Amino acid sequence: MIKDLLRVSHASKHFGGNVAVHDVSFAVDEKEIVGLIGPNGAGKTTLFNCMTGFFPVTLGEVIFDTKKINDLRPDEVCRLGMARTWQRVKPLGSLSVLENVMVGAFSVTNKPRQAEVIAMEELTKVGLTDYASKSAGSLPIGLKKKLELARVLATHPKLLLLDEICGGLNHTETDTILDIIRTIRQRGATIVFIEHDMKAVTSICDRIVVLNSGEKLAEGTPEEITNNPDVIAAYLGGGHHA
Amino acid sequence: MKQIALVTILAAAAIALPLIIGENPYMTGILISVLMMAALSSAWNILGGYAGQYSFGHAAYFGAGAYTTLILLTNYSTLNPLICMAAGIIVASLIALITGTIVFRLRGHYFGLASIAVAEIVRLSVLNFEFTGGAQGILLSDISLWGLDLNSKNPFYYGMLLVLAVTLGITAYLRTSKTGYYLMAIREDQDAASSLGINLSFYKNKSLVISAALTSVLGSLYGLYIRFIDTSAVLDLRLSIEIILTAIIGGVGTLWGPVVGALLLVPLAEMLRSNLLGDALVKAGLVSDTSAFGIFLKENLAHAHVLVYGIITVLCILYLPKGVLGLFRRTK
Amino acid sequence: MSFLQPLLSGTLTGGVYALAGIGMSLVFGVMNISNFAHGDLMMLGMYLAYFAFTLLHIDPYLSLVLLIPTAFMFGFLLEKLFINKVINHPHQNQILLTIGLGLIMSNTALLAFTSDPKILTTSYSSSAFNLPGGISISVPLLLSFLITCVIIAMLYLFLSKTTTGMALRATSQNREAAQLMGINVAKMSAIAFGLGTALAATAGALIAPTYYIHPLVGHSFLLKAFTICVLGGLGSVVGAGVGGIIIGVVEAMSSTYLSSDWKDVVVFVLFLAVLLLRPQGLFGKKGGQS
Repeated sequence: MIKDLLRVSHASKHFGGNVAVHDVSFAVDEKEIVGLIGPNGAGKTTLFNCMTGFFPVTLGEVIFDTKKINDLRPDEVCRLGMARTWQRVKPLGSLSVLENVMVGAFSVTNKPRQAEVIAMEELTKVGLTDYASKSAGSLPIGLKKKLELARVLATHPKLLLLDEICGGLNHTETDTILDIIRTIRQRGATIVFIEHDMKAVTSICDRIVVLNSGEKLAEGTPEEITNNPDVIAAYLGGGHHA
Repeated sequence: MKQIALVTILAAAAIALPLIIGENPYMTGILISVLMMAALSSAWNILGGYAGQYSFGHAAYFGAGAYTTLILLTNYSTLNPLICMAAGIIVASLIALITGTIVFRLRGHYFGLASIAVAEIVRLSVLNFEFTGGAQGILLSDISLWGLDLNSKNPFYYGMLLVLAVTLGITAYLRTSKTGYYLMAIREDQDAASSLGINLSFYKNKSLVISAALTSVLGSLYGLYIRFIDTSAVLDLRLSIEIILTAIIGGVGTLWGPVVGALLLVPLAEMLRSNLLGDALVKAGLVSDTSAFGIFLKENLAHAHVLVYGIITVLCILYLPKGVLGLFRRTK
Repeated sequence: MSFLQPLLSGTLTGGVYALAGIGMSLVFGVMNISNFAHGDLMMLGMYLAYFAFTLLHIDPYLSLVLLIPTAFMFGFLLEKLFINKVINHPHQNQILLTIGLGLIMSNTALLAFTSDPKILTTSYSSSAFNLPGGISISVPLLLSFLITCVIIAMLYLFLSKTTTGMALRATSQNREAAQLMGINVAKMSAIAFGLGTALAATAGALIAPTYYIHPLVGHSFLLKAFTICVLGGLGSVVGAGVGGIIIGVVEAMSSTYLSSDWKDVVVFVLFLAVLLLRPQGLFGKKGGQS
């Protein structure tokens, strides 16, 4: 077993009186792909926000690469090597596609020339080179998701947090994104993957953590999860399908 | 290449201009105002246009430069004006850092509101303190620097031109540097920017301080040029709004927008202020010089330039939110 | 008892500030727009009361009956003609538009009414009740405060009991959700801006008998209204009410114990202190994050 790259222990997040996440613990090993699933409102995105410094956890600890990162700002978390994408894509609308990715690349270099080289590499990986000079705001959603991925890859993260990177995409688009993720993984990336699409999750993840109403419901291999009666009741039985 | 050639021609023309118009203090005065407004608006643009943080209180930094310089010179007349200018930069940067530290943690409307509050605190403090000359303002009798004839307007023309060139140079450099990309990322989406490793308050503060320092240099230069300042001339909210309006009309977040804006707005304001418009109406026989309406116009039209600014602001936001340069970009 | 005197007169003036603050907060809550013309709308209210008194000989307090609907219509039209055009623009454009409208109002007033300050003197302008302990209560201030209370009570009833009022509050809570529920949010915006304008103008009229009237007076009121809103939490109507009283008292206290020259500085420093220590305001919930 390789050391934990990320360890979340007993994390809770309260908003006023509302408990959005309650006592969730899990760990991610290096080079692992972990899926984080659960019905809408289960607290997945909130957990991402807590892990990446957007809102600090109310209780518990987030440890990344042996450092406690509870109170770090999002930019500090990114610079430590944990980077995220957004469920609702956030392109820098009036900048070009290339410039968007360069912004990411600037966290590993100060030189614009070099940032451009890195950005082109990442655009090649996701297949957006033809759109490099287009304005990011004008892309259709499928390409915006790819841009989101390229931009976050340009920060050269040790751990990648993907928030519904396939959400809102059709089958072909989903498959392209999954292919890209497989290629990234072959080069040794560690990924945590929030997804609704059960098929996508089971086809790509080593391990799955299931959240329900802010609490951890189950954890295991894709096979264990798909056969877990609690999960089926709460998640699959809840009328949700791919 | 084409751009470099164009800039060279523009610069040469700007340098040669005083020689062409000769000894014409009135014209030189207007040109100085154009250069100053272009530079002020460009300095504002670094913060407002690139980082997307609209300051509605830039007069505070302009006034900080002007007041610091003139207060020092009236008390220590042998000081080199450039040292006073440096002191102005320090004061303006301090005000900027205090404002930034308080407000840049927050999102939304807060920076705009706080920038006005800070500007008002500065204005009212200057008005109420004695060492600042209070409501009377400060009069500077005599200055000297390197044996230049500072009673002539030409040194100030070139001074303003230099600061404008530096401001545009900084803006052009920023546009292609890491900092510039970071500022634009912050303008476009703060959450995305911060998730990509951008320290939001550091970069916002950085652009605010650069912008404030340049603005304060212009204030110092203006103070040395006019040699009389009071709060209504250098610290008024109206000045802050003129600065923004100039950028908006030309094109916010573009390199040349503020220059275009100043070329359009300053002469217009001058025409209204000097009553050229009223005189023209009288000359055209539309209004009698002695009629009640004619007298009303004569007395009031000079004040109407702010009203005209208001109308331009409204029209610009409704019909030309990307400014004159935005118009060209679209048709390109 | 010199302490009670500023406390009392501060509270009375603060009530009128609260009215202006509530107007601004309502607009902010429903439309998410910072209205920089708010102070100038107050100034127009002052002039309306002044001219109603000098030209038509209507008592400034009675003139409210005419002024409130007029101001409401004016605000409603401003929204329809200008503000709603920028409702989906970046907020700096909204601010600039309202700044532009404010400049037009104040400078038109400057041309029309000249820069000589006007004073509205009624028969009871300088009369006061003398309470034991050397405290005096100015009659116009007290009247203004009482009318303010009545208006706030009516506004409260309107917002909590009527369908339109509830629709306004729903829009303020969540614009998108309100729209999905079939609320005509465009109309709500116009009503909110009309109400905001009416409240600003009313506050102007109420303060007119105790203040000098000048075309450029709006901008100091604008900053006060902002301070009130931020103090109470942007968009919170109740907060704005309390914020108004606090500002009135702080102002009166600083005039008494410091100097009236510095009272505005104290108010703005308070504003920055709130942003530093409690950016969500005393009553706000979201603040800062949104």
